[in-house]
Amino acid sequence: MTEIAGKYLTVILRITLGGVFLYAGVVKIADPVAFAGNIAAYKLLPYFGNYLIAAILPWIETICGLLLISGCRVRGAAVIICALNGIFMVALFSTIVRGLDIDCGCFRDGGEKTSAWTAIGRDLVLLAMAASLARRDRQSST
Amino acid sequence: MHLSTIKILREMAGICLLATFVGLTWNYRLLHSAWTGNVPSATPAAATDTKANQGREPAAVPLPLGLMQVKELYDRKEATIVDARDGVTYSAGHITGAVSLPIAEADSRLAEFMNRFPRATLLVVYCNGYACQDSRTLADKLIAAGYQTVFIFEGGFPEWQDAGYPVTGGNP
Repeated sequence: MTEIAGKYLTVILRITLGGVFLYAGVVKIADPVAFAGNIAAYKLLPYFGNYLIAAILPWIETICGLLLISGCRVRGAAVIICALNGIFMVALFSTIVRGLDIDCGCFRDGGEKTSAWTAIGRDLVLLAMAASLARRDRQSST
Repeated sequence: MHLSTIKILREMAGICLLATFVGLTWNYRLLHSAWTGNVPSATPAAATDTKANQGREPAAVPLPLGLMQVKELYDRKEATIVDARDGVTYSAGHITGAVSLPIAEADSRLAEFMNRFPRATLLVVYCNGYACQDSRTLADKLIAAGYQTVFIFEGGFPEWQDAGYPVTGGNP
């Protein structure tokens, strides 16, 4: 019974987390210039670096999202998502330290502004989900 | 190193490489514009004024700026705010201190604008918010005319007004 519940939980985690990252990636792929602007607002990268990250990052999110939903290469995708969320949280925390009041740029540009603390909280939840998935997939593969 | 660790590192490397390849291919044009600049070679103003252009970074596609960044530049008086909307709309209400350069009159009034503002001026162009493309079109024209630092304020006048920042004309 517990094993079955655990399997269902893994599937729910996979699809939820995969859906979130697939959505986040696709909306950014649709408007890379706006996303570059969001990255530029963090004032962490040089001019071209903003575009480079805006070109690549949404595809990492999309591919990881698709892999999680399909159940293929789950551990690799989950670990990448853990790393991404860690980086996002550091970047968000740096905006708080530097007194920058910016939109996190996590999802669609032009929506309601998300504060850095809210985004950090959300990233923590996503990080916990991804870490749990990576751990569960490891246990099931051993 | 443990076999499962090697396997997971391989998976991660594969995902990142695939994403990098697809991302670079998909956004090739954008990245090329950002790297090399977006100034057409036939632009007379930029081509003739070589001295003024010496040592500058090449212009690229205009980057969007958020409300807070625009306000920061505005408060420090580091940017010239340009209103891309038509004259009537501008008179009805605009960001205090903004210069009117309606997109429909941009071609005829560009020379006058350029006499007033040197090409080193940092410009922030806005119009009527996210649904409005005039700021983007005008920003492209300004870059093509030789301006090197042109931003777009995508939230435009509605976002600025809603935030309670200084406006001139129109309803309070």
